[in-house]
Amino acid sequence: MEDDEARWRDRNRKAKASPRAGGRNGKPATTEDEEEEEDQDEAPRKRARKKKASAQDSEEEEEEDDRSVKRKGTKAAGRKKKAVKEESEEEEEEEEEERGKKKKGGKVTSKKQKDEQNKEKKGDAKGKGGKDKGNGKDKKKKNGKYSSSSSSGESGDGDSLSEGEMASLKEEVEEKKKLIATLRNKPWRMKRRLKLLKECQAFVEKFEGALGKGKGRKLYAYKVMMAKVMMGLPYGSIPRKTVPRAEQDRAMDISVLLDFGGYCKYSILFYGFYNAERTIGVLQFRLPLSYLLVGVGIFGYSLMVVIRTMARNSDEGGDGGDDGQFTFAFKMFTSWDYLIGNPETADNKYASITTSFKESIVDEQENQKDENIHLRRFLRVLANFLILCSLGGSGFLIYFVVKRSQEFANLDQDELSWFEKNEVEFVMSLLGLVCPPLFETIAELEEYHPRIALKWQLGRIFALFLGNLYTFLFALFDEVNAKLEKEKSIRNATIWGLNEYYSNYSSYHNTTDIPPPDIHPADVIRGPCWETAVGIEFVKLTVSDIQVTYMTILIGDFLRAMIVRFLNYCWCWDLEAGFPSYGEFDISGNVLGLIFNQGMIWMGVFYAPGLVGLNVLRLLTSMYYQCWAVMSCNVPHERVFKASKSNNFYMGLLLLVLFLSLLPVVYTIMTLPPSFDCGPFSGREQMYNVVMETIENDLPAFIGDIFTYATNPGLILPAVLLMVLAIYYLNATSKNYQNANLELKKKMQMARDEEKNRRNNKENTNQVMQDLEDLLPNRSLLPPAAAEEKPPPEKVHEKGSKSPKVAKRPGAAVNGKGVNLQMDVLLDAPNPKAAVTHPPGPRGPSGNARGPPPGPARGRGRGTPPSRR
Amino acid sequence: MGTTNSTLSKIPNVEELMQETGFTPAHIVRLYDRFEALDKEKTGLLRPQDFGAINRLAMNPIGDRIIGAFFSPGQETVDFHSFVRILAHFRPADKKRPKDPSMPEPVNSRTSKLKFAFQLYDQDKDGKISRAELLQVLRSMLEMQVTEEQLESIADRTIQEADLDKDDAISFEEFRKSLEKVNIDHKMSIRFLR
Repeated sequence: MEDDEARWRDRNRKAKASPRAGGRNGKPATTEDEEEEEDQDEAPRKRARKKKASAQDSEEEEEEDDRSVKRKGTKAAGRKKKAVKEESEEEEEEEEEERGKKKKGGKVTSKKQKDEQNKEKKGDAKGKGGKDKGNGKDKKKKNGKYSSSSSSGESGDGDSLSEGEMASLKEEVEEKKKLIATLRNKPWRMKRRLKLLKECQAFVEKFEGALGKGKGRKLYAYKVMMAKVMMGLPYGSIPRKTVPRAEQDRAMDISVLLDFGGYCKYSILFYGFYNAERTIGVLQFRLPLSYLLVGVGIFGYSLMVVIRTMARNSDEGGDGGDDGQFTFAFKMFTSWDYLIGNPETADNKYASITTSFKESIVDEQENQKDENIHLRRFLRVLANFLILCSLGGSGFLIYFVVKRSQEFANLDQDELSWFEKNEVEFVMSLLGLVCPPLFETIAELEEYHPRIALKWQLGRIFALFLGNLYTFLFALFDEVNAKLEKEKSIRNATIWGLNEYYSNYSSYHNTTDIPPPDIHPADVIRGPCWETAVGIEFVKLTVSDIQVTYMTILIGDFLRAMIVRFLNYCWCWDLEAGFPSYGEFDISGNVLGLIFNQGMIWMGVFYAPGLVGLNVLRLLTSMYYQCWAVMSCNVPHERVFKASKSNNFYMGLLLLVLFLSLLPVVYTIMTLPPSFDCGPFSGREQMYNVVMETIENDLPAFIGDIFTYATNPGLILPAVLLMVLAIYYLNATSKNYQNANLELKKKMQMARDEEKNRRNNKENTNQVMQDLEDLLPNRSLLPPAAAEEKPPPEKVHEKGSKSPKVAKRPGAAVNGKGVNLQMDVLLDAPNPKAAVTHPPGPRGPSGNARGPPPGPARGRGRGTPPSRR
Repeated sequence: MGTTNSTLSKIPNVEELMQETGFTPAHIVRLYDRFEALDKEKTGLLRPQDFGAINRLAMNPIGDRIIGAFFSPGQETVDFHSFVRILAHFRPADKKRPKDPSMPEPVNSRTSKLKFAFQLYDQDKDGKISRAELLQVLRSMLEMQVTEEQLESIADRTIQEADLDKDDAISFEEFRKSLEKVNIDHKMSIRFLR
């Protein structure tokens, strides 16, 4: 209730504050010509009234209709009969406002006076209408209208003028112009002249734009659009958009602004600025609703984009070189990019090709390594232990620092040093700077394959960042809870104060209708607004991240490169090739940095919409800056290992970050009550209530029904179940496909091997056949020659390794191992029993094509089993 | 399109050329402009040093081989028709037109593209990429910091991977096999010739 009150108050104040709002001099002050004018526009007014009278129950609809009709009336330059005025005083005021604009010349009453009268009249009006509902509503509408009209300076004027009105307006504009031109010669007082001049100029400017003449048509449209449709009230109109009195002295100080206090804090950058008014302007822009929907929609959209990209990446499945069969051939024939026309780029390409070849060589080497498994296991466990320790340490450090900063926040800001104020950001950035190299050092213990090592490294940095971010978040939640407590007390105090004021007022003036307390927006007591505080924290975090990144590049890369380059002339050792060398551009680390930056944006954007703009600026500048740094002072990484062939590794990380940054935001949206006096959801129990409100008020009833059914647990549970089943089914199918794929790959590999073998074997078998043909006929004739029979073992081994299948002699084949071609050979062989009675020799003489030409004397074959040992 | 027609009329036998290569008149005009730009002395013939003006080729490790591919053996110059015929290899494959089995294989087919690439590596035109030829390319493609030993092992591995018949050289068939998975249509196409 008190929120309604507050809103109402705000509007009234606005109305008063706007210079044109107070135009009413009371009925008697109405001059003759005004009445005349009013006659002309009776009809639309009447319609409006009729409507008002008829539609009492559906508040919103009525409001809309009424407003639109009224707008028309206003556009027609507000003319009305006295009778009408009597019936609804408020409308007249509006009219007056209009008239005030039109006939500035005519009115000489001082503004103050008007204002006072106005206030009193309003009080009266309220007294009249406060009891019955319809009238109250009426007022509300009026208020809404006032707010919109005062926000843009002029509400409906530019929307849809009829031609006649247009013509008359034009005429008036011309008149004003003429007046401005001739003002100098008028025999008036200076004060009056100045005032007139100002008014005329304002009028001309406004309507010239609206009429599409002069310079300002587009600008005007844009201004109206931005001011009325999107932003609602301008700065300074209501408390949440005004710097509090206590802060005003220092609100423009650069140090305050850099901490995003002062004017920054009460600007569109942050959550608190936005008003909770249900609709804004002629387009009925629902700011709170769109704020929520956009906030949540960003996540939905990002999820979709990330997942789509991942799906596409996995679709492509690499460029063909990744199945390991033709790595080298593939690199050899396809690595050059034929569009390169720049010598520097060409150099880079040479380097990259070289690296990729080296990578493949290292891969090969790693495959052949064998090592002490126990030592390695121990080292890996040790490394992981160390890394866990440092992760935990960094988490604790951050928690400690955030806690400390909350203590600092309670102290006077002036006593704190710069470091104490920025401790959290500083420590977080420092950790982000120190830990990754530390991890890298520790990871050397593990001796993983470089590609795997890189993944571990990235995973660890990821854990570090995420842990830090989440520690930070938890500490932040503590702070938010404290703020919520504080807010509750302030809120109660405000309500109490308001009640006090009302009772005092009513007893003093003896009236039940009380105008809102006339406090300047800057003086209103307000709650801490935790949302803005959270937003500020995230913005500060982002800014400090930017600073640290830029400084690191400047010092770590640029300065280092300068030193290495120029000190090299007078140094004991070669700096370029030796110890410091040039910085390497760490691709994976930079990508990870981008991912985390994105995560921070996702988390912070709900409470600080300005963060998006800030981040765009950051990305743009950092692209050029880093590009410069890379080209001028970095060397390529010595051993670049792509973390993954497609980019799905990084996309997976991004997805994880998205999910993890989604959690806290959605948690706060769903559970924490919004602040009572700031942000688009003020006055609501929960942020998502704004959706319910819209469903109830703006959509047809049946849609509301549908939503009620749809949100029923009885419907949701089966739906979830169905989805789980669908996921299960799809998963199973994809697994099947995967298996089939593997199977096919295996088959292809087998076919390839077979083909290779067949080519190799052709010669061999021929040779064997030849041997046999040579040998078989005169086998029995030859004397057994055991010594000759045994070929030199090393030779056999060598040949056997070259083509193991062939190495098996028919004798061995009888044991059932030789399957293919040798079998055919075997069939020809007589005396099959011989092999069975004796164990086969360890290795028969090779039938290799390149074996020593078998002499006739060696032609025993299997014919003489005893001779074979 | 007036300029198109006037340019086309300058080229003799343009219909035949278009029929043969599948280029549209716009392509031909574009290529002709390019040809004239390269032809500094306006002789209607290009010499190898004219190609040197293209810095993309100058940067290319096998740039001189690519230039060499434009010249049929023993000839010092290339005229516009041969120029276009060579470039027709790089015309992206048309997806819309169904394959006509009766027609001879178009010059921009996968096989002919591969053949073109193969010839770049097969310098002595014996139908095989030998180990020495591979080493030559490798030397030009990699930086100085790679040792000769590494170069040789890379060449050996390449041959070992691709070689099916154990003759220590890569024949065209083997070349085709080893690049089976490469999207040649994508890699060996010039976009604007679509």
